[in-house]
Amino acid sequence: MTESGVYVYAIIPEGGALPAGAVGVGSPPAALRLVGDGQVTAVVSDAPLQLRARRRDLMAHQELLLSLSDRGPVLPMRFGVVASDEASVCAQLAGSQAEHLATLRHLDRGVEINVKALPAQDALAAVVAEEKDVRRLREAVRRRPDYEANVRLGEAVATALSRRAAEAGKKLLHKLTPLARAVAAGPEVQGCALNVSFLVDRSESDAFRATARRFADAHRERAELRVAGPLPCYSFVSSRGLRPTVAGV
Amino acid sequence: MTTTMYADEVAPCPPRAGTLYDVLELILDRGMVIDVFVRVSLVGIEILKIDARIVIASVDTYLRFAEACNRLDLERDSGSTTIPELLGGRAAKSVGKRKVRKAAESVGDSVRKAVGGGDDENDDEEQEERPKKRRAPARDGASRRRHAEA
Repeated sequence: MTESGVYVYAIIPEGGALPAGAVGVGSPPAALRLVGDGQVTAVVSDAPLQLRARRRDLMAHQELLLSLSDRGPVLPMRFGVVASDEASVCAQLAGSQAEHLATLRHLDRGVEINVKALPAQDALAAVVAEEKDVRRLREAVRRRPDYEANVRLGEAVATALSRRAAEAGKKLLHKLTPLARAVAAGPEVQGCALNVSFLVDRSESDAFRATARRFADAHRERAELRVAGPLPCYSFVSSRGLRPTVAGV
Repeated sequence: MTTTMYADEVAPCPPRAGTLYDVLELILDRGMVIDVFVRVSLVGIEILKIDARIVIASVDTYLRFAEACNRLDLERDSGSTTIPELLGGRAAKSVGKRKVRKAAESVGDSVRKAVGGGDDENDDEEQEERPKKRRAPARDGASRRRHAEA
């Protein structure tokens, strides 16, 4: 399988072991191995011949990183990174060892928690009750049903839903930021008013989630919150800045 | 509304990580990239529909919101009525304009496709069937960030 290359999952400190029973991408799942002879080690497998972002392979990548990050600091690779051969992995590890070690130290005992705020579409009654514009347009439509008026009413509802979610998202960001070691904006996701990842001490992650949940309960008429984590620190692999690039990616 | 939990699918892992769809953009867009390594092409992946959230600025969406809004009976307990319910159920059936009804149905279908998921065996076909939203394969910004390491 040398032609297809070496799939790289993660970089971990030397001496790390593979989780029992863990497997890689592909069907049948590829066998994992450790590569590197310096102070950092790469977790790799043969790359499948036709690697694409299938659900199965995304899950395999994610599950492996989750179990690796349960055991210690991990630099998670983005899905689908393939090296031409083991020698080039070793050369990369050796050449960037200092930087990898610095990032591993930075992430030590840290986990990523991702929070998304979405419009609370099941709180339409609250929108009608609290948004003057919506109420006014709704009454107008009821008096004189008409296509144009319906469009305007719907537009007002959509705008209000997004605005309310964005406001709640901003509040949440202010509340959670002091509890995190670092904050990184996530990629833009359609329909999301807020998508942010927090780097949190593993020991604090339950408390962090509980705080987010309390906020979600108190604001459920404004935003629906999705909290995912503890995750591998995908958004914090750059050791240079605590706040990786926010826009344009 | 179905969401695919990790715990159901593969691993003996608690659902702490949320659904795959909740973190997909992190797996695909964050994480380390090393310039000297290549990255699999992501062409053809339809990214991220967070279940049935459809807040799109379009006349069809507006009409559906308006319909849902008009049907709200504020006197009774209407807080539990969701737009998806209204879209999929009573509202869609009773809306006079056929066009609206059709739009609502097709949204329902694409959401089902996006989140209902099917099993792994169908995964490839599924992805090929719906290359609606393509993603640029090159992630230049990110690779530039890691440039110093390569």
